[in-house]
Amino acid sequence: MADVFMQSPEAAAKRIERAPLVTSNRSMAWITNHVASCTEKRAPLWWWIAFMLSASLATVSVLCIGYLISTGVGVWGLNHPVGWAWDITNFVFWIGIGHAGTLISAILFLTRQKWRTSINRAAEAMTLFAVVCAGIFPAVHVGRIWMVWFLAPVPNSNAIWQNFRSPLLWDVFAVSTYFTVSVLFWYTGLVPDLATLRDRAKTKLRRFFYGILALGWRGGNRQWKHYEMAYLILAGLSTPLVLSVHSVVSFDFATSVIPGWHTTIFPPYFVAGAIFGGFAMVLTIMLPARAIFGLHDLITDDHVDKMCKIILLTGSIVGYAYAMEFFIAWYGGNLFEQYAFINRATGPYWWAYWSMIFCNVVAPQLFWMRFFRRHVLWVFVVCMFVNAGMWFERFVIIVTSLHRDFLPSSWGMFYPTWVDIWTFVGTFGIFLSLFLVFIRWLPMICIFEVKAVLPEADPHHGDHDGHAAAPAAALKGGAH
Amino acid sequence: MKRVLPHPEREGRPALWRSLDELAAKPEFNDLLEREFPQGAAEWQGGEISRRNFLQLMGASMALAGVGLTGCRRPEAYLVPFTSGVEWTIPGKFLFYATTQPRRNGAMPLIATTSDGRPTKLEGNPLHPISNGGTDAFAQASVLDLYDPNRSKDIKSGGARTDAAAFAAKLDAISAASASNGGDGLAFLVERVDSPTRDRLLAQLREKFPRLLWVEYEPLGASGAEAAAAACFGAGTVVTPDFSRADKVLAVDSDFLNASFSGLDQVRGFMARRRISEPGQPMNRLYVAETRFTGTGGMADHRLRIKPSEAGPFLRAFGREVAARTGDADLAATVAAFPEGKLSADEAWIVTCGKDLAASPGQSVVVVGDSQPAAVQALAFAINNALGAGGKTLRGLQAARPAAATITELASAMEAGRVQNLFILGGNPVYNAPADLRFGDLLGGVPATVRLGLYEDETSALCQWHVPQTHYLESWGDARSADGTICAVQPMILPLWGGMSELEILNRLAGNPEPVGPQLVRETFATVADGGDLEAQWTEFLRKGFLPGTTWTEASLNFNPAAAIALFANQNAANAGGLEVAFTPSSTMDDGRYANNGWLQETPDFATKVTWDNAALVSPATAKSLGLATGDMVQLSAGERKIEAAAIIAPGHADDAVSIALGYGRRNAGKISEGVGFNAYPLRTTGGMAFAANASLKRTGATHKFAETQSHQSMEGRDLVREGTMERYAEDPEFAQTMGMDGHIPPNISLFTHPKLDSPEQWGMTVDLSTCTGCNACVVACQAENNVPIVGKDQVSRGRNMAWLRMDRYFAGDEEDPEMLAQAIMCQHCENAPCETVCPVNATVHSEDGINLMAYNRCIGTRYCANNCPWKVRRFNFFDYNQRPLDELYLGPLAKKGMAESLQMSKNPNVTVRMRGVMEKCMYCIQRIEEAKITHAVKAGPTDKSKVSFPEVKSACQQACPSESIVFGNINDPQSRVARLKLEPRNYSMLKYLNVSPRTTYLARIKNPNMAMPGADKVGWANGHPHHGGGHGEDHGSHGAPAEHATEAHGT
Repeated sequence: MADVFMQSPEAAAKRIERAPLVTSNRSMAWITNHVASCTEKRAPLWWWIAFMLSASLATVSVLCIGYLISTGVGVWGLNHPVGWAWDITNFVFWIGIGHAGTLISAILFLTRQKWRTSINRAAEAMTLFAVVCAGIFPAVHVGRIWMVWFLAPVPNSNAIWQNFRSPLLWDVFAVSTYFTVSVLFWYTGLVPDLATLRDRAKTKLRRFFYGILALGWRGGNRQWKHYEMAYLILAGLSTPLVLSVHSVVSFDFATSVIPGWHTTIFPPYFVAGAIFGGFAMVLTIMLPARAIFGLHDLITDDHVDKMCKIILLTGSIVGYAYAMEFFIAWYGGNLFEQYAFINRATGPYWWAYWSMIFCNVVAPQLFWMRFFRRHVLWVFVVCMFVNAGMWFERFVIIVTSLHRDFLPSSWGMFYPTWVDIWTFVGTFGIFLSLFLVFIRWLPMICIFEVKAVLPEADPHHGDHDGHAAAPAAALKGGAH
Repeated sequence: MKRVLPHPEREGRPALWRSLDELAAKPEFNDLLEREFPQGAAEWQGGEISRRNFLQLMGASMALAGVGLTGCRRPEAYLVPFTSGVEWTIPGKFLFYATTQPRRNGAMPLIATTSDGRPTKLEGNPLHPISNGGTDAFAQASVLDLYDPNRSKDIKSGGARTDAAAFAAKLDAISAASASNGGDGLAFLVERVDSPTRDRLLAQLREKFPRLLWVEYEPLGASGAEAAAAACFGAGTVVTPDFSRADKVLAVDSDFLNASFSGLDQVRGFMARRRISEPGQPMNRLYVAETRFTGTGGMADHRLRIKPSEAGPFLRAFGREVAARTGDADLAATVAAFPEGKLSADEAWIVTCGKDLAASPGQSVVVVGDSQPAAVQALAFAINNALGAGGKTLRGLQAARPAAATITELASAMEAGRVQNLFILGGNPVYNAPADLRFGDLLGGVPATVRLGLYEDETSALCQWHVPQTHYLESWGDARSADGTICAVQPMILPLWGGMSELEILNRLAGNPEPVGPQLVRETFATVADGGDLEAQWTEFLRKGFLPGTTWTEASLNFNPAAAIALFANQNAANAGGLEVAFTPSSTMDDGRYANNGWLQETPDFATKVTWDNAALVSPATAKSLGLATGDMVQLSAGERKIEAAAIIAPGHADDAVSIALGYGRRNAGKISEGVGFNAYPLRTTGGMAFAANASLKRTGATHKFAETQSHQSMEGRDLVREGTMERYAEDPEFAQTMGMDGHIPPNISLFTHPKLDSPEQWGMTVDLSTCTGCNACVVACQAENNVPIVGKDQVSRGRNMAWLRMDRYFAGDEEDPEMLAQAIMCQHCENAPCETVCPVNATVHSEDGINLMAYNRCIGTRYCANNCPWKVRRFNFFDYNQRPLDELYLGPLAKKGMAESLQMSKNPNVTVRMRGVMEKCMYCIQRIEEAKITHAVKAGPTDKSKVSFPEVKSACQQACPSESIVFGNINDPQSRVARLKLEPRNYSMLKYLNVSPRTTYLARIKNPNMAMPGADKVGWANGHPHHGGGHGEDHGSHGAPAEHATEAHGT
């Protein structure tokens, strides 16, 4: 920093000029062509193979769930005292992943972080698919799924209402609200691009299909005005949800009496963890997609770098939370609390705890160094660690707290069954299948927004040449 | 679906009208009548599809989508009325009858609860002099045996099904043949029951067949004690300790605090002096010397670990001390004559104990376990005699029992070919006779063998005839309780699958006409009733369940030392030493007779917490020296005989010894018992009924998986069970309430107002840890009362047992010689229940009378409540345990569905049989409370209910508890026992810091150590010694020094 001020103002201005968000001087037409063509070309062979694999995996999950529902929750490894294990672990894991997309779309939008434009669409899609995967678990983990409608406030002759004190009910509302708003937000943002695809469509079917989805978008000034307002409002709605959903999820634990769960630190700790895990998953998905579709000019190394920084930041918050939990357990002087944490680190599930620490706290420390933030392979490896670590975090919180709570007479162990394992593994199939369908039929990068961050989009761009800049809005809508 | 009943139209202008609209006959009113919810706007009636139609359609499509998922339905059930009524039955009301369970150690007087003619629950008969209304686990579970679908149902001859007529012909043929030869070759092998009718029939048979052989065999009988009593005090003398008069008790290898193996009166007598309410009150002191931990050992103030062979040498050393202190010459002579044996126990322990007992002549007693031989029993009689126990703490009764031969005599008769017709009535000698008799082989040499049995078991397989035996709840009979009182055995139901009783067979053989109803018993009754109106007396007999005044006559105990010394000749000192394998009664299977009882199989043994298995118990030190770990399969061999069993490391076990419970490893005894546990009988011989000496133990290399309900032994420094000594209680009466963290908790402030608990009855419970022995009677009673399903070994090992009430067991102190603590845990009914706040659908809520309720219909099974329960008492039905066979749980819809018809009959009709996916737990026997509420309301009629006293309600666990440790009742009523107990300073609630205000509280366990005993400073300190002087209690009335308290808390 210091040397910046020692230089001449001109030189300094040059040095701190922002790196371009789209590299290689790509034109607007190139962007449209490149992104739209991903959905227009014949599906490549790798897509079919990937889709078949992931769809098969998804089928495994569906079959496991069918077995679960028809036979009983006992096909999982749950028991007394461990009433929740992989089911809620997976739920919190997927819900956490579903945080990055909306954070990128909403919060970065409101804070005018323009670099978000090339990643927000895919990240949001990922959010939705993750929430779909997350929603499966609380639905099927109950003993009598055919009665889950009791969770809905349906007037009934017994005049029994839901228990509004129960965090599980808050979950139902929080997650369904989050999903609904996320879908709306995502879809609203898609409309102009759907119109682009419609306009480029060569077959009747595509024209019809995208025509319906584009909702009659013509790119008119009024439409843009409405669009911008709607998008802004939805962004405003989504922002508190990003913070609230995982806070509410954390209440499942924080409001309970179980040592290891009963902790006020949980809401911020969970939100940070969710963003942490979410960004890692975004990178995990996006890096291969970028490589396959050659999107390096749109999703640049700068993007990766920035996301790594967020991972480093949130990872550090999470690490701080882990340390603070131990401190409070000691400082609080509560025998049960102390035991719960000692047991986490040294009990029968020590391996899960230390895996978590390594993956979530140690591994991201590499991102202090620029080299690791910009080296795709390293980034990918660290993100995989974070993905695993965040799963372990939830497992540690849920299982190690439950398996040894107050009365040693009731202490037990949890061992997953094959149904536990395949139901979870299968949700990756569901997630990937949905994502593959998404990249095949919808523009995975927000075409019009990326174009808006090109230098040409600046109304004053090329002013010195005497050219009048075309209005940005017109540029966005047209098919160049 | 509910139908909307058309409202009757009124003609013309109504005379009575319900609203002004009706008076005006406005259409809006008719609309209102049509609607089910007049004030509700929830109805959608527009257009073609109404809300109801819509739900129907949705339901149908859901059903279609769920084709194949047949599990996902509400269980269908039909209520069908009787075509003809059961006598005296009022639908929905229970009928209670007195009956009796015959037992080898004296009949258990019972009250059977019947509904629609089906017995569903058994309670103790509180009218009976030996009973306080308590029972034991066996009596509680025996009702399930009645309905066991695996019971034998057909009369079989040579393995082929035949009929009753053929069997009757066979009996007549044997009877005729035996009459002609005076009963030569006619033998009966029966179980030990003191039944006047059986004795009467036996007398008839003996008259008819003078040379018949009558044999009684009980694998766990008290033959040693009986022989010793007969020798020392005269034939027919029954010696029973009277603990209600004993201040100091020494129990050697005796589990007398388990009512199953002693008697209800013994437990009650002991507990009367054990229960301590006020600080400074006196209480009795218990010394125990035993091999493995029993419930009695857990209760001991001082416990000594001895090898099974050391009971004699121990008593010898003890007797020497008592003789020296009391100067009793008889005892000195007897002790001197008793063969010396190896004794590794601490001499100081024995001497100090002897000194203590000798200091209380006439107020102390020594009891010896049933398995000990006559010599040891006689030595104990000598000691008791010196202690002045006779007539005080030891009662003598003069019993009149018919002579019976032993199974050894029968075996030699069989071997000599002197048995032609053998009747095996009950019992199971092929399985449980001493191995050296080779009873199974001998059976083949008997020309005609007839077996009467509840099951077609090991013995039936080797007999020519098998006849299904009627259960005691479906046949007439009588039996004497331990004090000799004649009790009525009344049938509660007609035999479910036909069959005969022992009495009917004997009666037929005696040549009497077939009895009608209670005729056989009544004839006996006529001989014992004291004249007068026989009919009235008989009715009274049946109503009460026993005939008062028929106890055996009191006998004075005049000890004959010479006879005792004569018995010592049989005491073979050589038959001891090396590794000793003790054969112990199973706390759940007894001698194996309950092997097909799922409730008992799934009841954890108190000391090991193992279900569905027995085990070879070894001490930690012995395990270390042998390189054993829990679950290792071992081969135990003594001489030529060997068995295999899995080992468990049992804290508190004697070194160089192995204990193995009998009663497991059954074959062909039904689906439940198949392949469960290890049969120890093959190692047991006539010379070593109590233990096998000089055995060897070898690891086979294989391992075995146990299904334990509790894997953690230590309290981890948490003050769950609280314990103190008498001295501490006197000095610091509040010690239990201020222990550990509880001394530091500032008063809690609630953030929100709780719903009012404003009913006049407020239910609560106390469990007295001073008197709870962990005998499991409550556990099984709860299962029987509340239709709790069994889940099978595999599911138990996965931690899914369903018991609503469990018996926690902790060890405290040294691993080799710890204290054992019992704590019955059921739903604590927290006033501020953590489970209630987290249930999303309001399926668990609080009642105004303080009960934490479960609405099964509403429960969707999130299990959140169970997770948030600090006591982990909530039980989730992971599979359809009630509907699916336990070995097909994982087959889902492909598994067979439905409960055996007979088992359906065993269910308590007042308690829902829960389906899968639903959480369940203790509700303080709410069905009994509701019953009482109805009775109360009926009694009050139109008058003010508060003016009529509320009927007494007992929870099932409370009712079953033989030591009266569980007390339930209305805590709002200051006169109630529970309310008074809750005022005792011993009363504490667990996990007080959580501020959940449990309604179930515990009374701290008080111990009475003799400070002169070695290791006495450790007794009564299971929670550890407090950091400073008199405990935390002294200074925390003032919270003036919070900083100091905070630092203390860290170290706690």
